[in-house]
Amino acid sequence: MTAIDIKPRRRTKNRPVWDEEPSLAGKAVKTLFMVCYAAAIVLPIWAVVATSFASEEALNRAGGSLLILPTDVSVQAYREIFSGGALTDSLLLTLTLTAVGTAISMALTICGAYALSRTGSLLHRPILWLILLTFLFGPGMYPSFLVVQNLGLFNSYWSLILPGAVGTFNIIILRAFFMNSIPGELIDAAKIDGAGEFRTLFRIVLPMSKAILAVIALFYAVGYWNMYFQAVLYTPGLETQPIQVVLQRMLMSTQGLPEGAQAAAQYQARGEAAPTAALKMAVVVCTIVPIVIMYPFIQKHFTKAVITGAIKG
Amino acid sequence: MATLQSTAPPDTDDAPRPPVVRRKRTVVQRLRHDWPLLLLALPVVAHLMVFHYWPSAWNIIAFMDYSPYRPFWENPFVGFAWFARVFNDPYFAPALLNTLKFSVLNLLFMFPLSIVLALAMNSIISLKVRSTFQSVVYLPHFFSWVLVVTVFVQVLGADGLVSNWIMGSGGERLNFTSNPDTFLLLVWMQWAWKDAGWGMIIFLAALASINPSLYEAAASDGAGRWRRMWHITLPGIRPVIILLLILQIGGILTVGFEQYQLQRQAVGYQATEVLDTYVYYQSIIGNQGESFGTAAGLFKGVIGLILILVSNNIAHRLGEQGIYQKS
Repeated sequence: MTAIDIKPRRRTKNRPVWDEEPSLAGKAVKTLFMVCYAAAIVLPIWAVVATSFASEEALNRAGGSLLILPTDVSVQAYREIFSGGALTDSLLLTLTLTAVGTAISMALTICGAYALSRTGSLLHRPILWLILLTFLFGPGMYPSFLVVQNLGLFNSYWSLILPGAVGTFNIIILRAFFMNSIPGELIDAAKIDGAGEFRTLFRIVLPMSKAILAVIALFYAVGYWNMYFQAVLYTPGLETQPIQVVLQRMLMSTQGLPEGAQAAAQYQARGEAAPTAALKMAVVVCTIVPIVIMYPFIQKHFTKAVITGAIKG
Repeated sequence: MATLQSTAPPDTDDAPRPPVVRRKRTVVQRLRHDWPLLLLALPVVAHLMVFHYWPSAWNIIAFMDYSPYRPFWENPFVGFAWFARVFNDPYFAPALLNTLKFSVLNLLFMFPLSIVLALAMNSIISLKVRSTFQSVVYLPHFFSWVLVVTVFVQVLGADGLVSNWIMGSGGERLNFTSNPDTFLLLVWMQWAWKDAGWGMIIFLAALASINPSLYEAAASDGAGRWRRMWHITLPGIRPVIILLLILQIGGILTVGFEQYQLQRQAVGYQATEVLDTYVYYQSIIGNQGESFGTAAGLFKGVIGLILILVSNNIAHRLGEQGIYQKS
């Protein structure tokens, strides 16, 4: 054997043999870029959480903005949120809207997607077109507003759920999944065994689609939980507003703007102090927590859902 | 595009299953057979009729001198008079210009950012590092705009974290979140924070679908890292890039509402007014009237429709798939 003894550079595990090891500088630049990007996302979130647990003295020392490290931990802000006042009402309302809205949206989406996944049935093509056309043209803000008014939904919580209850994109995603990932033989077999459409849907199709149903439910739930625009548009007159609207008012009240001064005056009129930074950040944390709790369960299925939709849509 | 679905078995990958060939039946027979499916589709159809197609039909009042206080049929048709009023409105052109400005910003600086991020992410070999990083960068996509704006004000605002640091070391107060001159940069930073990570998800999937033996062959032919990227990676994700580009161009007049409405007070309407906020403030908050707001919205909808059709047509001519197939 040849006696050339080349000492190989240390290679990253799992790197394909044909791939040359990048230079140290290249690696360093890339690592720095990725670390900075991740830090830019994580650090503000961390500061928000830290500030929400800060006591008033610690905040005053820091000048009333964010803290990186809470010097003395206080749960005063959270006690205030859950003490049964306007903030508690708002959180409960938003939770209810999210639960009811997601249930309605999922029911509509599942039924529509299953009906459309059975190609060749009566009126299949016209109904599919009805859904696809919504991608091309939106009715516009004002006509939608008029319809909500005409239906008597203005300043009713139903106007926060019903107009946006069907995500046509989600129907197309779910339909593509039903058609491509559930073997047709299985459905045919169920039919031969005498199962009707409803039984096939509930006993065969849905149990096989749990992952994608979870992702779509998350998309809907996040949409309802983060709802702001619809509340501004359709329910400006209601006493209890979704949490995002409340958070926006708190933000304004401490920004020293005309609208902020108004909001601050409202707080004063009710005999409440304008919200402290800790309280504001605690509300922010409350709006993040449900999302962060759901997230790990569903994250691994994201890619599949997004890709299915992008390609078959 | 079909190659993207690496998880599905290849034979079920492309076209939908062909319908089972049955002998021709009458409508009544089909109805008897298919009624459960129609029943299942009914709620969705009803919903779209009420909340999509009915409001779409309401757009007709853009051509009428509409007043809600008289019966509908007594409203006279006035042709394009309302559109003329919209175009002559001194606030309309700036709103349109701002909208285009934000769209171009998105195309030039957000879209490539997601691609670069995806390429960087794709070159991470350790699966553990990769999935951790992915979890972090997808997360802000699920935050609301209210939350994003709040966090930005707390960090970069006049009383924010960074401003306090600067003042602590003897500098001047930062005026970033309420400065109309730098609003474009602020918007871009908010987009990058919230959605750049999410934007890369589809490119990552496209990258994963590229056959690794192509790289191996190119490497053994002496192609280096950059040549491989230019000749294999980028052509591999081209269909996805074109598809997303079409979607972006179709939505060029839709840049969102909340992000601008939320910062309108702080930054001022001149810098933040886009078409959607224009419609809202002119005719729902203001008193320009129903027909005016509808005309402005219809203009936006029709231009968007034309842009989608045209860009899709161009994609077909370039031999790409586009959003829908030619049928």
